[in-house]
Amino acid sequence: MSAERLRVAGAAVVATADRGGRIAAVAIAFGWHLAVNVPGIVGGWSDYRVAWAALAGWVLFALVGVLGTARLFYGFAVPVAPLLTVLLIVDALIIAITPGGQFFTGMNWAWGTVGWFALLLLYDKRVSALVAVLLANAALGLVGVLAASGEANGAVDLSRFVMYVYGTGVLPIVLVVATTVLRGTAQEAAASEAKRAALESERLGAAHAQRERQERLGIVSEAAGALLHDLATGRADPADADVQRACALAAAQLRRLIAESDDVPDPLLHELRACVDVAERQGVPVDLIAVGELPELDVAIRRRLAEPLAATLATARDWARVTVVAQPDEVVVSLTTPATAGPAKESHSWAMDGVVDYWYERDEELVWTQTRWRAA
Amino acid sequence: MDADTVAGGMTYGSGGARTSVAIVDDHPVVLEGVRSWLAADPRLEVVATGDNVDAVLSAGPADVILLDLRLHGRMAIDKVSELSAAGQRVVVYSEHHEASTILAVLDAGAVAFLAKHEGRDHCVETVLAAAADRPYVPPSLAGAMVGDRRSSRPALSDKEREALLLWFQSMSKASVAKRMQISEHTVKQYVDRARIKYARAGRPAATKSALLARAIEDGLIRPEEIGTYRSYASPDRPLP
Repeated sequence: MSAERLRVAGAAVVATADRGGRIAAVAIAFGWHLAVNVPGIVGGWSDYRVAWAALAGWVLFALVGVLGTARLFYGFAVPVAPLLTVLLIVDALIIAITPGGQFFTGMNWAWGTVGWFALLLLYDKRVSALVAVLLANAALGLVGVLAASGEANGAVDLSRFVMYVYGTGVLPIVLVVATTVLRGTAQEAAASEAKRAALESERLGAAHAQRERQERLGIVSEAAGALLHDLATGRADPADADVQRACALAAAQLRRLIAESDDVPDPLLHELRACVDVAERQGVPVDLIAVGELPELDVAIRRRLAEPLAATLATARDWARVTVVAQPDEVVVSLTTPATAGPAKESHSWAMDGVVDYWYERDEELVWTQTRWRAA
Repeated sequence: MDADTVAGGMTYGSGGARTSVAIVDDHPVVLEGVRSWLAADPRLEVVATGDNVDAVLSAGPADVILLDLRLHGRMAIDKVSELSAAGQRVVVYSEHHEASTILAVLDAGAVAFLAKHEGRDHCVETVLAAAADRPYVPPSLAGAMVGDRRSSRPALSDKEREALLLWFQSMSKASVAKRMQISEHTVKQYVDRARIKYARAGRPAATKSALLARAIEDGLIRPEEIGTYRSYASPDRPLP
């Protein structure tokens, strides 16, 4: 799993953790609006100074609530500041139409509800925005209380007012703070998990590269190790033509293996060029002609395409012609050289794992080796 | 590296007369070398040489012009179109053997393309075939055709493609014949048919029509395979 995919998965974890908070916010706001505000309005219908204004205010609150919900769950871009203003105007309106002495009853429903509806609009904003709205609400309330209460119970009303402000304000703030903390924790957890997974995939990548290196080293040892040992101990004679051929083959293999790990645009051509280079150093003129655009090929396929040719090319003596014909779904590599090179066997061909066909033929004139990859 | 000798023995040119060739190249050494290659063949006569197409042609008509594609630092593909449209057989030879260049030269109406490194035998055979309006496909041209991925490329049959591919790889029709288990003559037919399909692709040119007409006369293709082909063959000659 890539680090990028983990980061996306981490974001999904955070979103899921946060979804609970959003559902709670919507449930509380509408629950309150229906279960508390509706009886409040119905009960005080005949006492309101302008009854229909109370109903209109309730509907406006519900509309703002629906827009806030759409914003929370579907990312609708809604004008937050104007909607907050609507809430506060309705708030002031309900305070104004509530008769004196009824301030702390269900009739003055908007004053106690505005915090929950503001929360729908300010859920993922800084808590200070919500606090500002609640302070504005408190100021409206204070004006209302001062205007309505008589001299006698002024101090009692003020004390009740403070209690109500505390009671209605603290809960939305707690919900916002709690979900913010929860979001932060989930984010951190997801990030540290992503980091851990990235480290893990790095470790796997390194192990894979190490394995590939060891695999190449194995091939190299097989190709050159025994030969070098024989030369060092004097068991192989450098003047012997067979030993020379074996050396040429090992050199070509080494060059190709080194070329294999290079990061180049056309790796197959690069690897073939490495083989051609070894042959040219031995004084064999080689034509390397490529037509068409090479598709991306796995290193194992490139190895199967190039290796048999490299082996024959290492034994070429006079001239050699290497051609590569590439199409999106087929790559054919061929080597022709005078019939002095290569094993003497007449002709053979076999499919290598059904991915790359290898075919070798030697007649009186030519040695001809062809490897052919076809897209599955 | 054998040249194609299957077509050998046919009568080239008209009435047994020698084929006249003009050579245009801006390198005196190359010019002299190619002239000596061609002059050594009794079927050919080099009538003019020079480094300028118009000057060379003003010396008199030639059955075939052997034209170096890069003259005085610029590619003469437009010159190839102009000459081919006028019915002049042009064999382009060049050290630029990128597939795209070769295909552009064919589109322009050149009868054949020859890479400079392809040597004397290919050169002589190409000129002789060109004079007779017969296709000749040296390996470099086969490579360009088999690697052609342009959307406008003609549709080649599997056998034609395989013959082109193997001919490009081995440069030996005998080896291709053995590989495909067919006769050398059939290998040449596949390769030539592919070449003829190129003659009816792209812009029309008098030289392309002549190639098509001769291909029908030789039985290489049937007239109904041509599509919108208009016959330039003499009407009194029966199809084989």
